[in-house]
Amino acid sequence: MISPSEDAAACPAPALTAKDFRSDLKPIWCPGCGDYGVVTALYRALAAIGRPAHEIAFVSGIGCSSRIPGYTTAYGFNSVHGRALPIAQGIKMANPELLVLVAGGDGDGFSIGGGHVPHAIRRNPDLTYLVMDNQIYGLTKGQVSPTSARGTQSPTSVYGSMEEPVNPLLYVLAYGAGFVAQGVPADMDGLTKIIEEAIRYPGFSFVNIQSPCISFGSPDNQIKNQKAKLRKLSDLGHDPTNRLRAMELAQDYGRELYTGVFYRNPNPPPTYERRIAELQGRLAAPGATGA
Amino acid sequence: MHDFIVGMAGSGGDGIVSAGESLIGAALAEGYYGILTKSFGSQIRGGESSCRLRLATQPVLNPGGTLDVAVVLNWEDFRRFGGELPVDARTLVIYEAKTKVEPTALPLGGVTPAAAVAVPMEQMALQSAGAQLAKNNVVLGLLAAWFGLPRERILAGIRKKFARKGEAVLAGNERAFAAGFEYAERTPLPAARRLAPAVPAAGPMQLTDGNELCARAALFAGCRFFGGYPITPATEIMQHLQRDIWKHGGSLLQAEDEIAGVGAAVGASFAGKKAMTATSGPGFSLKAEMLGLASVAELPLVCVDVQRGGPSTGMPTKREQSDLFAAVFSAHGDTVRPVLAPTTVADTFEVTVEAFNLAEEYQTPVIVLSDQELAQRKEIVPAIDPARFRVVDRRVPAGEELKDYRRFRFTDTGVSPLSHPGLPGGNYLAAGIEHDESGAPTANGEMHARMNDKRLHKFAPLQERRDLFVLEGEPDAAIGLISWGSVAGIALEALRQARAEGIEIKLLVPKLLYPVAVPVYRDFFAGLDRCYVVEQSHQGQLHRLIRMWADVPPEFGVLAKSGANPISPEEIVAQIRAMTRARAAAVRRH
Repeated sequence: MISPSEDAAACPAPALTAKDFRSDLKPIWCPGCGDYGVVTALYRALAAIGRPAHEIAFVSGIGCSSRIPGYTTAYGFNSVHGRALPIAQGIKMANPELLVLVAGGDGDGFSIGGGHVPHAIRRNPDLTYLVMDNQIYGLTKGQVSPTSARGTQSPTSVYGSMEEPVNPLLYVLAYGAGFVAQGVPADMDGLTKIIEEAIRYPGFSFVNIQSPCISFGSPDNQIKNQKAKLRKLSDLGHDPTNRLRAMELAQDYGRELYTGVFYRNPNPPPTYERRIAELQGRLAAPGATGA
Repeated sequence: MHDFIVGMAGSGGDGIVSAGESLIGAALAEGYYGILTKSFGSQIRGGESSCRLRLATQPVLNPGGTLDVAVVLNWEDFRRFGGELPVDARTLVIYEAKTKVEPTALPLGGVTPAAAVAVPMEQMALQSAGAQLAKNNVVLGLLAAWFGLPRERILAGIRKKFARKGEAVLAGNERAFAAGFEYAERTPLPAARRLAPAVPAAGPMQLTDGNELCARAALFAGCRFFGGYPITPATEIMQHLQRDIWKHGGSLLQAEDEIAGVGAAVGASFAGKKAMTATSGPGFSLKAEMLGLASVAELPLVCVDVQRGGPSTGMPTKREQSDLFAAVFSAHGDTVRPVLAPTTVADTFEVTVEAFNLAEEYQTPVIVLSDQELAQRKEIVPAIDPARFRVVDRRVPAGEELKDYRRFRFTDTGVSPLSHPGLPGGNYLAAGIEHDESGAPTANGEMHARMNDKRLHKFAPLQERRDLFVLEGEPDAAIGLISWGSVAGIALEALRQARAEGIEIKLLVPKLLYPVAVPVYRDFFAGLDRCYVVEQSHQGQLHRLIRMWADVPPEFGVLAKSGANPISPEEIVAQIRAMTRARAAAVRRH
């Protein structure tokens, strides 16, 4: 596929701005929700990428954060709970030219839809998966989620939850994702840059966004506290091509708030759609029987 | 004789199924019609296996009931198939002499066959080929000589099959065939019967099955994406497509589960491609939520359910028609999804193409209810002539329609032009959440009701799709039958038998099961006072479904039977005779 910069050089079009990606729908999110920051960062990242909205397919599951496709001008698909990744892969396979984005919450991605994540990663389609991780089920008003810390008290765990949380970063690194990062709406410039970089990565890219729930989330996780807690991986001198070190750092999920790129595969393997195109080309060649 | 049914059973390694395949291959080459059904225990390899082969000089409608000839290599294995291989006083039994059973004391549950012949098949295989594995070719030799099956065609098949295995193996198997053939010539049967010469069809014929034709039909109809998960007895659809779909620029995903398989297909359809998934009962249950999503997002999708014995895991390798309720009522909320069912192997092509056409035309999931019998039986059918079929594509917005484009715009037909990512100006939000015309989420009751109306109203033309029904028999008859799927072929044969007895009767076979086309049933029921629905489900699901929608005749009964054992034409004829007697008695009373 043509990279956005080459594309722009080939046919000069008016530069897109963040506004071009904002739809007329008013978000249903509570005032102070972290997801406002996420969607704003996304508008900016998409403007920087420069692909027109009709070339973007944006798929989500169900949850507060899964409303996000409707707040963009892209082709959106607000599907069913936990199934955004399979739908997104079908879209990408059907039309590899599209820029495919997937978004959802931690429950959507790591509870009901958790079985799809490793398989999407091992296929390596060129799509970007944004998880708005708030450690709570917000839309259903505050139940314990797969990323909630053990002991979290909630309407479905009034005596405190008994399970250890999943570690999205470590899972995704272990599954073999080529691009793994974390961002926070408390650092809008950083988050915008991370999303842009994730989209530019040619393969499956994952961004865990610590997007606080103002209504049901822990007070410690709110934007104000994030500003105080966040530690930029670049400031720590982390080498994002070092996968093992990335996994060590990811183990601090829930304790430390690292932001930036944990891992970027310096030699991206062929994408799923590339392998498919090769097969299609081989079988369509004159004389090929395919049998 | 013009119609010949042989059933064979043995252990996994006995090559019984392979012998059946050789025979039907020879029959195709010679110009006969035929159906081969295979049946296995639920073991993956080994265990008991059987096949039933019906050969005829005319097109056959079903695998038939009672066997003319039973070949028994092992009594235990044979008896495990029970009613799948029914034997009665007309049957000739050929069995392995090694089993040391007296012809007068066969373990057939009190049934005395017409004749029983013990043949030392295994010994002949050892003597001729030096391997007991060759005994299936001994069986072929016996059948060829005793019943006049095409010897040279069978031998040609054996040569083709063993050509790769070397001279010695081939020669051994040819000797085994000859040994069986010569034994049969030396040992005439008590009542010799020979299959009449073939009357080849005018056009080319092929040996195929429902799953293969389903896959070929999908490609023909323009399917360019398949998402699925392996499941018996539907897997072959994915396997056939896996070989060919790439050549057409399409792609296929063997997904991590059934939900992802249908989800990817929904995604591909959203992206503008014709898409399909295929499964069987357990997978169909898992896909229900996605079917609801596709209904509300109004996305075309074909979902094939090759029914097997249910509920739950049930009987994966056996026939049943018990997923009709699931197909019609799957997914929550008020939605309608068309449900189609093929009635013959050849029909699977036509019905699959129709499913894509309906899906694209009405922007809806369409369910194809195939069944294990149609999906996996091998049948000699006419080559498909694609020129007979039309292909419908979805209405994509263009020009003015893309200015102020509203994806779910209210229209007279209920169908609104459908854009797809990549099309400038067509941007919209697809969603499972209720929405307004533009696609924006809403929780407004009036809008919800209007959208429900739209999604229901668009199927109104299906009420008049009389071409999706087959009507046979006397139009003015006072008694009737309704049947569907693979059982329809059995009902049709029973109808013909009854009419040969002078009974006036008619038969309706719906290929469109849902929505229930009320006008078609109204016309069929006019003047009927007795009607039975013949189907392979315990509750009689079609019977109950029709009652939900249509006004039915005074006596509206059901001949329903759980799966695995086929319904026989004889059972249906008995029901028809009972209806005739009851009607005569009622007429006398008045």
